[in-house]
Amino acid sequence: MMEVERRRGAAAPRRVVLLADCQSFYASVEKAERPEYKDKPVVVAGDPERRSGIILAACPIAKQFGVTTAERLGDSLAKCPDLVIIKPRMQLYIDVSMTITRIYQSFTDLVEPYSIDEQFLDVTGSLHLYGTPEALARMIQARIQEELGVYTRFGIAENKILAKTACDNYAKKNDSGIYVLPKEHLRETLWTLPIGKMFMVGSRMTRHFNAMGIDTIGKLAETPLEKLKQLMRRKFGKNSDINAELYWRIANGIDDSPVRPGTHEVAPQSVGHMMTLPRDYARLEEIKVVLLELTELVCQRCRGKGFMGHVVSVGCMGADYDRPSGFSRQMKMADPTNVTNQVYRAAVELLVRHWDGMPVRKVGVSLSQLSADDEYQLSLFDRDREKTMALERATDAIKRKYGDATILRAVSITPAGQAQHRARKIGGHYK
Amino acid sequence: MRKKLEGNGLWESSRMMLPEHKVAINDHEAALRQRRRVELDEQEWEHVARSVAESLRQRRQIALRMFHPVEELTVIGIIDRIDPLKGRFMVDGEWFLIRDIEGAAPEE
Repeated sequence: MMEVERRRGAAAPRRVVLLADCQSFYASVEKAERPEYKDKPVVVAGDPERRSGIILAACPIAKQFGVTTAERLGDSLAKCPDLVIIKPRMQLYIDVSMTITRIYQSFTDLVEPYSIDEQFLDVTGSLHLYGTPEALARMIQARIQEELGVYTRFGIAENKILAKTACDNYAKKNDSGIYVLPKEHLRETLWTLPIGKMFMVGSRMTRHFNAMGIDTIGKLAETPLEKLKQLMRRKFGKNSDINAELYWRIANGIDDSPVRPGTHEVAPQSVGHMMTLPRDYARLEEIKVVLLELTELVCQRCRGKGFMGHVVSVGCMGADYDRPSGFSRQMKMADPTNVTNQVYRAAVELLVRHWDGMPVRKVGVSLSQLSADDEYQLSLFDRDREKTMALERATDAIKRKYGDATILRAVSITPAGQAQHRARKIGGHYK
Repeated sequence: MRKKLEGNGLWESSRMMLPEHKVAINDHEAALRQRRRVELDEQEWEHVARSVAESLRQRRQIALRMFHPVEELTVIGIIDRIDPLKGRFMVDGEWFLIRDIEGAAPEE
């Protein structure tokens, strides 16, 4: 009896989770690659001519001039005329991010990338080798600085939400770049911060919480959950219960989600591609060209993953921001498929039926209701299916090996075509 | 919606990942799962050879642990034929490579 009591009373060993964040990631990678810019204000910015002339990352020196992420390049130049502007090289950033993942994995196998520059590490099982969590964080920090020239900051806590909170609110601002946030100290730390500093709370939610009289994270944490649900229901309707609970848990540092390395392997709900056009497309023939190119990409990705889709969706957004036009519609095809021409036929049908004739700036195609492609319904009318599929397997293999622009449809070399251009990009920015 | 509160839902619903980055992560994970060949020493080979020969001669069930790059693979059955020239053996009409054997045990 005594034994049981004592065991129950003993503090269970807590998990130790790190959220590691890379400072000004794209800019740091570029500065490490080009030592001549070491003491210069550097930004990585999208190509101005292609409507994406915004700051993707600014180095700490540039930030001292008041340059901020996501502002327009012109505004930054006004603040800092000597700014060094570098075009993004997305593939390089992915490669460096993967190198960093491998470094983390040399300390623990539980590593979950959360974005290109943030990753969770569960180091509970590694601490006996490295001592305290801070000592381990310092070791990793020094190694990444030395090998890649990137400065990393570490939030340390017993779960992911507190680790993320510790990093965003404290580790990013102190001298060591490392901060431990114990759950017992929330009252003196996290809870004193204004509500806008909380994870998942943007400017809109800040206004709403302030209107409810909740101006600090502590006030949110101490509002009974049922009361919070009531308050949120009044503003957002019946369906806000889950979000209420989510905010409440974040404020209280409650999070039992695991650090899951395989998290990116889940089967997708849908596969889609969207593209902002370099100029407005006003003719049906032109829009059809990008529609085909996007359909090809979507189907290619489905084929690569072994999926077929049953429902195809097409979206077009009008060019005039002041008078929003466009549509987003979907239809169910006769059978699930990942054959480009079949999906394209349905996509064109949607386009012709719903396009209002206004110039278009953005086009998107996606396939959903996915199923495995190793079994499919034989069609009475499409006897060439096996042949088409073999052809697509061959072109996919060539593209995988030599790049997407090595085999193109003839329409892609017309002025409306974007495939060649797109093949050189990742996330809308150059590889 | 409910998913946000369960498992890894909070993080899976809030993250921003480039598709190309996801592909790189998954390729890397798959490479980590690749298994290496187990090197057998002389004694272990002798044991495997004896077990295989016994199975062939006495029609006895055997379980052979085999190398496979990503899967746990065990062949269970009676050795029907051995083809030393091509370095392979047959169980239930299917050929397997002798050099892929990583261990043997009698199967009751």
